[in-house]
Parts: sequence; structure tokens; C-alpha cells
Amino acid sequence: MPGRLVGDLVLTAPAPLRRSAALLALLGLHAVLAGAAPVLGRRLGPRVLLVCALAPAATVAWALARAGGVLDGRPVTEVRPWVGELGVELAFRLDGFSLLMVALVSGIGVPVFVYAWRYFAPRPDIGRFAGLLTAFAGAMLGVVLTDNLLVLYVCWELTSITSYLLIGFDDTKAPARAAALQALLITGAGGLAMLAGFVLLGQAAGTYTFSEILADPPTGTTVGIAAALVLAGAFTKSAQVPFHSWLPGAMAAPTPVSAYLHSATMVKAGVYLIARFAPALAPVVGWWRPVVVSVGVVTMLVGGLAALRQHDVKLLLAHGTVSQLGFLVALFGAGWEEATFAAAALLLAHGLFKATLFMTVGIVDHAAHTRDLRQLSGLHATLRPVAVVAVIATASMAGLPPFLGFVAKEAGLEALLHEGSSATLVLVGIVAGSALTVAYGARYVWGAFATKPGRAGAPMAATPVEPPGAAILAPAVVLTVATVLLGAVPALADPLVEGAATSLDPRVEGVHLALWHGITVALGLSVLAVTVGVALFVGRDRMARLQAALPRTSSGTEVYQATLTATLRLADRVTSVVQSGSLPRYLQVALVTLLVLPGTALLSGPGLPDDLAIAESPLQVVVAALVVGAALAAARSRRRFAAVLCLGGVGYGVAVLFVIQGAPDLALTQLLVETLAVVIFVLVLRHLPERFSETSRRLSRLSRAAVSAGVGTFVAAFALIAGAARQEPAVSGEHLARALPDGGGRNVVNVILVDFRGLDTMGEITVLAVAALGIASLVLSGRSERTAGLAAHDPDEPAPATEADGPVGAVSSAGGDRLG
Amino acid sequence: MRVLLPLPVVLPLLAAGASLALHRHRWLQRALGLLTLTAVLGVSIALLLEVRADGIGVVDVGGWEAPIGITLVADLLAVIMLAIATAMLLVVLVYAIGHPATEDTRRFFHPTYLVLAAGVSLAFLTGDLFNLFVAFEIMLIASYVLITLGGSEPQVRSGMTYVVFSLLSSTLFVTAVGLVYAATGTVNLADLAGRLDGIDPAIRNALGLMLLVVFGVKAAIFPLFSWLPDSYPTAPSPVTAIFAGLLTKVGVYAIIRTQTLLFPADGASEVLLAIAALTMVVGVLGAIAQNDVKRILSFHIVSQIGYMILGLGLFSVAGIAGAIFYIVHHIVVKTTLFLVSGLIEVSAGTGALSRLSGLTRRAPVVAVLFALPALSLAGIPPFSGFVAKLALVQAGLDIDQGLVIGVSLLVSLLTLFSMTKIWAGAFWGAPSEVEAPDDAGGDRALRPPPLMVGATAALVLTSLVIAFGAAPLYDLSHDAATALMAPDGYVGAVLDR
Repeated sequence: MPGRLVGDLVLTAPAPLRRSAALLALLGLHAVLAGAAPVLGRRLGPRVLLVCALAPAATVAWALARAGGVLDGRPVTEVRPWVGELGVELAFRLDGFSLLMVALVSGIGVPVFVYAWRYFAPRPDIGRFAGLLTAFAGAMLGVVLTDNLLVLYVCWELTSITSYLLIGFDDTKAPARAAALQALLITGAGGLAMLAGFVLLGQAAGTYTFSEILADPPTGTTVGIAAALVLAGAFTKSAQVPFHSWLPGAMAAPTPVSAYLHSATMVKAGVYLIARFAPALAPVVGWWRPVVVSVGVVTMLVGGLAALRQHDVKLLLAHGTVSQLGFLVALFGAGWEEATFAAAALLLAHGLFKATLFMTVGIVDHAAHTRDLRQLSGLHATLRPVAVVAVIATASMAGLPPFLGFVAKEAGLEALLHEGSSATLVLVGIVAGSALTVAYGARYVWGAFATKPGRAGAPMAATPVEPPGAAILAPAVVLTVATVLLGAVPALADPLVEGAATSLDPRVEGVHLALWHGITVALGLSVLAVTVGVALFVGRDRMARLQAALPRTSSGTEVYQATLTATLRLADRVTSVVQSGSLPRYLQVALVTLLVLPGTALLSGPGLPDDLAIAESPLQVVVAALVVGAALAAARSRRRFAAVLCLGGVGYGVAVLFVIQGAPDLALTQLLVETLAVVIFVLVLRHLPERFSETSRRLSRLSRAAVSAGVGTFVAAFALIAGAARQEPAVSGEHLARALPDGGGRNVVNVILVDFRGLDTMGEITVLAVAALGIASLVLSGRSERTAGLAAHDPDEPAPATEADGPVGAVSSAGGDRLG
Repeated sequence: MRVLLPLPVVLPLLAAGASLALHRHRWLQRALGLLTLTAVLGVSIALLLEVRADGIGVVDVGGWEAPIGITLVADLLAVIMLAIATAMLLVVLVYAIGHPATEDTRRFFHPTYLVLAAGVSLAFLTGDLFNLFVAFEIMLIASYVLITLGGSEPQVRSGMTYVVFSLLSSTLFVTAVGLVYAATGTVNLADLAGRLDGIDPAIRNALGLMLLVVFGVKAAIFPLFSWLPDSYPTAPSPVTAIFAGLLTKVGVYAIIRTQTLLFPADGASEVLLAIAALTMVVGVLGAIAQNDVKRILSFHIVSQIGYMILGLGLFSVAGIAGAIFYIVHHIVVKTTLFLVSGLIEVSAGTGALSRLSGLTRRAPVVAVLFALPALSLAGIPPFSGFVAKLALVQAGLDIDQGLVIGVSLLVSLLTLFSMTKIWAGAFWGAPSEVEAPDDAGGDRALRPPPLMVGATAALVLTSLVIAFGAAPLYDLSHDAATALMAPDGYVGAVLDR
């Protein structure tokens, strides 16, 4: 339905849409390679990663081919049906912002795959790794390309699952498994909230098509709730405070995964969602802007401070990612057009430098076999090319000219300055955050590569390293070249960034990136941030003491752990109550339910009928008394055999009642069934001790008695009330009338059994036959296991036999009721 | 239609008798079972197509018109259930034939299994409340025999729980039928729909709740589920799989049938929604607390029943359509997961998580066969469970039932959590040393019998087909739900011919 997609935010007049089957084919290529990789991996070894790199490479090539038109405001779309009734359509749409995201996901994907090829030594499960990484890339691609909220959720959850498997890929290590679970549960919880938000939003808007909702956002309370739920998804995915704890843990993944996950995928999904929604929802949901921007700024500061505390350089970078994500969320979340533009530039810059930085960490780790900055020393000399790459990437991250990070950050500061007083607080926070970024950036470069002072003032001995090959550095070099080039000549990045930002918010048009804005307030703030950052780094020992003295804020991991523990404990408690393993208790619960549900409902009805007769003949009273007596005796009996005999007595007594009532056929059936029941019981008794166990306490006996009496009373009263409630004649009248003329029999019971309701009889015969099979089977197995003493294992188990007895008698006797 | 409709009941019954006569010829028993169930599957699909095209089909057994005789009624819900149930019975039979322990020394397995199939078919097709009781009895007696066949100690002990609890529910069922007859003078469902309308609302309500309790025991809803996790895990894997896939769902079917036809509500039913929420939560908490694959999966059954009751409790077309879709998805996925647990037990010798480890390396195929339905069960896209969950979420939020939907989403997270417990426990980690004796490198591939793997893989594929071809199945569910919400069509088809 191309017509439905025309409501485009970018353009005032509908532009011609370009349709493409390639979109789906590219996603399919990811899926196929992901599926084939485990098989290919057995033959190719790590080279399978190069084969898998074809998927992102093809995507990049396709995106480049389409870039011109897309950046001119002509999105490429494709719609295929899936579950139309539920609003799920495989709708895809490549607009400017999606193009930027594709550039990140696939453009950084290719170097990451190449890096991974050199990173891994040959191992048997390399194919599985390659498959997962490809699936992860494909899922992320789906997130940024789809134009249907529900399909977005589908891809979103796929990134959660694949990242779970990737983070836990070194599955013999417990920390990796725990980190994987933490990531899955936190992002999964957010994802589910997001799903509810999407559904609410879709129902309010009357469509699940993303671009249509953004073009004409619904309003009202529901939308506010929906926005909160969607944000829960975005914040958890993008590791915003207070949901940030999983991301540092996720660096337990193999480094290629970290490089990808921290730079271009997973965490960018939340940012992507906020970027899309902010221009549409910030104006209609009052609290959106203050909440989202504050969360972003706080995250930036919290992440930066945490990074300064780390000794593991990979962990340092991971906390740095949290901080940078906060920056992005703050810029995008406001929904201010210039800030959106700056954020788009920062998104690109961050992808480039963060992937590079993680790659360098991986090389250092491989070469020196440690990531602890207290043990690393002298690597600037021994790993010179790596150090150069890392310094450039860090400079970009810290916002130093002439790199892309600087250009983006300048644009961000300019944008906030233009917003005036409403953005002052944000500006202060971001300058402070930038200072922290400078400080932890310096800490990383110093920590990983510097020659450190050892004891007694002499420099620490250089850490021994195994020189890495050139190929493993090549992807990082490529990314660094991009950082340098796009920073030095911003005009190269400008069309992409502008196109992206314009597709988010049409008001952006006319804003451009620049390396040099002149002597401006923004430049002054940059200088301030760098100065403070350098000061923080130089005074790092004092800073460390200060941080140690301050009360530690919760990292969120404690909360996660506590929640997990509490859930497990709750599960244990609840289960031990409801699943006690005691059959008598289960039966009691069922009977109490009977009293509570239909029982209370009956209380509000008409009472018992007035004209009740106790009995129709004295004989009935006598037999009834015998039946009751036998039942009581069965319940009180201490010996199993006696109990079984008493129960037989109950059944035979009921048969006599049938005879008195003038139903010999029924009585005969009853006798047969009862006999069968006794036979089965005797067979079972072979496996059980002679006497019942005496464990039940007085209280539980009393409660059982109360429940039994209650159920008996309920059923009796219900029968009387129901009988009195009948409005129309029973079908038994028809049976009587037609038994002889149409059924050809004088005995109406016989006609019912073999003709009117012959199917029932056939069924019951089947039941008897299978029961016979069961008995035969029991006897046979009893013969082979004559010595088996079942009851010895479970003293409580035999007791239920007493309560089971009632049902057997009742089933057979009540079977006659249907005959009216 | 008149010819086809009784066949799903009659064919397996006849075959059961023949199979018993052939008990010394295992290959003939096998062939007969496979042939019969294949034929029933064909009949079911033919019925499905016919009902879709021509509307409800009705057959008077013995030529006695309703309400004098027993009526078999094939409406859309019944034939959907029939088709999916028969498909499961067939696949699980294949699996059982490949399973080394199921048939050995158990010459009654095949006849009993066919009787079970007949009982299940009758339960779906009957249009008569007492006959439904008979169908349940046929099904149950067969299940009693199957759950204890071979009679190992723990099996008989937990079989006891199952049998006794089922007997209680049978007692309550027949009591309820008696009460319904006392109040209305009929047991024909279509006839009942009209007659119940005329009696005192309090009594009608009490009868409705009584039937809910009766079927609730079968369906394992809160608080009547405790028998299930105690008794299912000890039976042979194929038996547990078919029980897990089908029996509780027959209970759910009966609840849906009676509540929509006999006790229709105007809006969402608070009782059902409360039961649904509690069933979902308590079930999943139980799953989290377990450390054995089959026990975890058994508790999941309970939890998932809550989703189906949730859909019914919404009492809207969308809600019931969601419930029906959920049932179909669940039957396939749950059966699959128990078949996989059987694969794990056969290849690794245990289902205890503490003794399993590293199966991704040693049995990668089993790992994939587990992962896909496990994700599906937790409602993770793009698998069938997601579509089912989405349908329910949309239906619930559409009528402002945010609370119970919130609970259902939380439960799906906890379901995922309990699945990761199996994954991290059995599939991740260093390859286990349980099998160490004849183990050279610890990475030796484990190869469960190909027939079992094939049957399981077929079901995994079915579940994928349900996911990616969700549109037609959802449309079907929607049509079935529309019919259920307008019971006059059912009543008219049976009584006014």
C-alpha cells in the first residue's frame, strides 16, 4: 500500500517513493549467511568471518547507490504483508536518518568482521560466532530500516537475543554467562515495556506505520503512558541511568563484539528510537523534554565519573560508552532541531572512534595478555602504530580539533547556546561531561600506552608484547582515516548528517557542519572543557582520593542483583507453598475452590425449596444409614484393607438404593463397577503397607473433615436448588414417549443406553476395556517387581487413598443421573 | 460431512482394537498406528476446509435428533483443535517409535495411545455435555495407563497423584452434569444454551463456575494445577510430550466452549482475568524454582494456560482469537520442547541441570531444536509465541485491561529467564563429564536416534510455519472467535435443521 506511506515528515509535497526489493534481500542475505556460517566455519575456520562480511559489505554498496536520492528526500520503501490483522507488516523505509544508521551498522560492520577474522585463533566454534555476529548485524539493520513499529520490536528483541548469545560466547566463564543474562533481562524488560507502548501508540494513532505516526502524532493521556513505556525500552537498550549497569558487564564479550556493540549496534538502537520520536513527541508530551534531557545529562556524568575509576582499560571504555550515550540522548531527546543535527554528527563520530578504541584494546590485550593499566607500560614504543591510532580516536572522543568528534561537539554546544536560557543547565552538564571525557580519554591513552613510573622513581619496565600482525590493525586504521578526513573536511560528512537530521526534523535544513566557527562562546566552552579535563587527569591521584571519600552511588548492578535474588526467593517460597507435594493438600485446595467459587455464587440465589421430603420409604433410611456408616468407617479405618472393604460397602449400598428406586439396570452397572474398583484397589494394596501412616495431625484432620462436610452440604443443597429451578420439561419425557414406537424397546433405560445415547455406552465400554488393560499391565509389572516396596519412600503418599475412594464410588453411582 | 465427521473418533477406536489383537507384532502395530493417525489427520484437514467453506457441520449419532440423542458438532474451533491435536499425535507416535524406552516391554502402548486419540477427538467434536464427560473418561483412562506403563517406582508414585486428582475432577464433572440436568432437563449443549438463559442468574452463575472448576482441574489453572508438575515429568518423554501438548488444552477447550456457549458474558470477566493472572505468575515462579528440564517445562504449561484464560477472560473477539491462536502455537511448541527434553535425556542420560553442561558443543542440533521453541514459548519474536502474545496484548490494551497485560508481559520476561536457566545450565559451559567413561576428548558429538530428531525437527518447522504464515492462522482464529461470540449460529445449526 504505497499510498499509506506518503505522509512524509520531510517534504511538504509528497515525493515519488522508490520501491526496492533489495531491502528485504539484504536482510535475507544476513539471515542466510548467519544460518550457513556454522557449517562453513568447519571448513574455512576464521575465514568464515570474511564470507559473512559480504552481508554488511553488500548493504553498504547498496546504500551508497541509493544515497543520492535518499538524501534528496526520496525514501526507498518496501512493504510485504505478514499478519495484517494485527498490524504487522514487513514495511521498510530507507530515509536520511536510516541511511546514516545503515552507514554505521554496516559500514562499521565490515571492519569489525575483518578485525574479528584476525582476532580469533582457529577454534571449533568460530562458525557459530560468525553466524551470531551476522544475525546480530542483520537484526540491527532491521531495527533501523523498518517502518513498522511491531517489526521494529521484532528486530529489537532479536538484537537482545543475539547479543545474549554473543556476550556469553565464552560460555565456560561464569562472569560471561552472568553478564549475558544481565544484559538480556534488563534490555528484555525494557523491550516488553516498549511493546506495550508501541501497541498503545498504534491503537491511539490507528496505524503501526512508524512514519505515519511521526507525521501525525496522536495526543492524550494514553500517548503519555505510551511514551513512558517506549522510553523504558530506549533507556534500557542505550544503557541510560538507572539501567546502565549491564553495559560495562557486557564487555565480557569477545572484543570484536564489544567493538561492534558499543559503537554501531545494540546501544545505538535506543538512541535511534529517541531520535525518531523526540521531534514528534516532545511537543505533545509535556514531560518528555525535561525527563529525557536530564536522564541523558546525568548518564553522561555518571558514566564519565565511573570511567575515571577503572583500571581495566576495556572497562574504562565501556563506562565511557555509557557517558557518550548520555550525551547523544541529551542532544537528540530535546527535539531541538539544531541539537538534533549536532547529535546526528556525534552519532557518526562516536561510532567511528569507539569502534577504533575497542579494536586497539583488543590488540593490546592480545599482545600484552593484560588490560590492567597498572601493569601496562611502555606500549607507546613497542606498539607504536596502535598507539597512534588510539591517540587519534581518543582525541576525537575528547573533542579535540581537527577530528570529527570536535566538529560534532562544537555543533552541539552551538545548538544549545542558540536555545538560550532554557538550555543553560543542559549546557553546564554537557561541558562538565566533556571535561570528564577528556580526563578519561587521557587516562585511557596514558593507561594503555604510557611508560609509567615504577618503584623508586625509575620507569616501570616495558610490558613484554607479542607484535600483532598488520592485518588486525588495518580495520582500525580505516576507521581512523575516516575520523580524520571527515573532521578536517566536514563538508564530506555534511550531506549525510544534514540528510539524516532533516529526515528527523525538516526544520534542520540549512544547518551545516564546520571545523572553524570563528572565536565563539562554543569554542570557549570547548577550551574550558579541555582545560578542566586535563586538570582532572593531571590531578588524578587527588581525584581518586576524592572519589574514594565520597559515598559510592549504586552502579545499578546491586539493584539488579537484589531484584534477581528477591525473585528467586519469592519463586522458592511460592512454589514450596503451592507445590508441597502432598496430595491430600492438593485435593483440599481443589475442594475449597469449589466452595469458594460456585459455592458463594449459589448463596446469592434462591434458597432451598420449601416442599422437601426426607425419604419415600423406611428402607431408604436404613440403607442410607448403612452407606453413611460404611463411609465413616472407611474414613476412620487404620487398615487399608478394611477401608477398601468399607468403600465397597458404600458402593453396594448405593446399588441397593437404585434397586429400591426401581432401577435394577443401574444397580447392576453399579455392582459391576464397584467390583472392578475393589479389584483394582486390592491390586494396588499389594504395593502398600498394611496400615495407613499416622502422621496427620489433629488440626489437619479437623480441617479435612470441615472441607468434606462443606462440599457434601454444598452439593446436596445445589442439587435441591437446581432441581427446583427447572423451567422446561426434561428430554427424558421425549425418551419415554419414543422408546417403544421409535426405539422398539419397552425398557426405556435399555433404549437410552443402546440407542438414544449409544455413543456414551460405547465410550464407557472402551473405558472398561482400557481399564482392564491397565489392570493387566499392573499385574504383569507386579509380577516382575514383586519385591517393590513403593510406600517405603513416601510416608504421606498412602493417605490420599482414603480420599480417592469417594470419587470412585461417586463416579459410578452418579453415572446414572443422566438417565433422569 | 456426515461421513467424515465421526471418523476421527471411530477410526482410532477400531484401530485400537485391531492393535490389541496384533500385540505380538510390533511392526504391524506401528504401521497401523501411523496409518490410522495419518488418515485421521487427513479427515481433520478435510473437515477444517469444509467447515470453513460451508459452516458448522452436525451429525446426529444413531439418527436421533438433538436433544434426544447425542450430537456431534464440528464448528471452526472444534476442527482447528482436532487438526492440530491429530498432527501432534502423529508426530509424537513417530518419535515414540524411535524412542528406545517407550515401546519396550509395553505391548499395550499402541492400543492405549489410539484410545487416547479417540477420546481427544470426541472431546472436541461432541455437542453434548454428558458425552463430553465420556470423552474425558476415555481420554483419562488411556492416560492413566500411559503414565504408568512400564511401572517404574517413581512413575507409579507420581501416576498416583495424577489418577487421584483426575478422579476427583471426574467426580465433580459428573456431579456438575447432574446439576445442570437437574436445572435444565437437558445435556445437549445447544439446547442448554437456550434453557440456561431462562433460569435464575445466580444458579446459572454457580453452574458456570462449577464447570470452570471442573475443567480448570484438567486445564491446570490456579489454584487447581498442583497435580501437573508433580506427575508429568516422570512419564516416558513421548507420553509427557503428548500430555503436555494436548490434555490441558482439551480442558481449556472445554472452558472456552462452555463459557462462550452456555455462560456468555457482556464484558471482560474479572474472575477469569484474576485466575489468568495468578496462573501465569504462580506457574512461572514455579518454573524459576526448578532445576530439572522437564519440571521447568511442566511449570511453564501452567503459566501458559494463564495466557489462554486471559484471552477468554477478555470476552472480546480479538481476545478469544488471541487465545485460540495461542493454544495452537502452544500445543506445537510445548510438545516440541518435551520432545527435546527427551532428546537431552536420551543423549546425555539425565535431565538434571546440575549434571548437564556444554551441550551446544556436543549436540549442536539439539541446541538449535531447543533454542527456537524455547524462544517461541517466551514470546520472543519472530517466532509463533510472539504473534500469539501480540494478539493478546493488543486485545487487552484495546479494552483497557492494562494491569493483566502488564502481568502477562512481566511473566513472559520471567519465562525467558527460566529458559536461560536451561540454556545456561544444559547447553553452555564446559562439556559435561557425565558421560566420561567412553569419552575421548569431551567434545564427542552426542547423536540421539535419528527418528526422534526428525520428529522433533518436523515440529520445530511447524512452529516456524505458524510464525511466518501467521496471517491465515490468525484469520482462522479470528473467524472461530467471531463464531464463538455469536453462539446463536451454533445453536441454530444444531437445533433448527
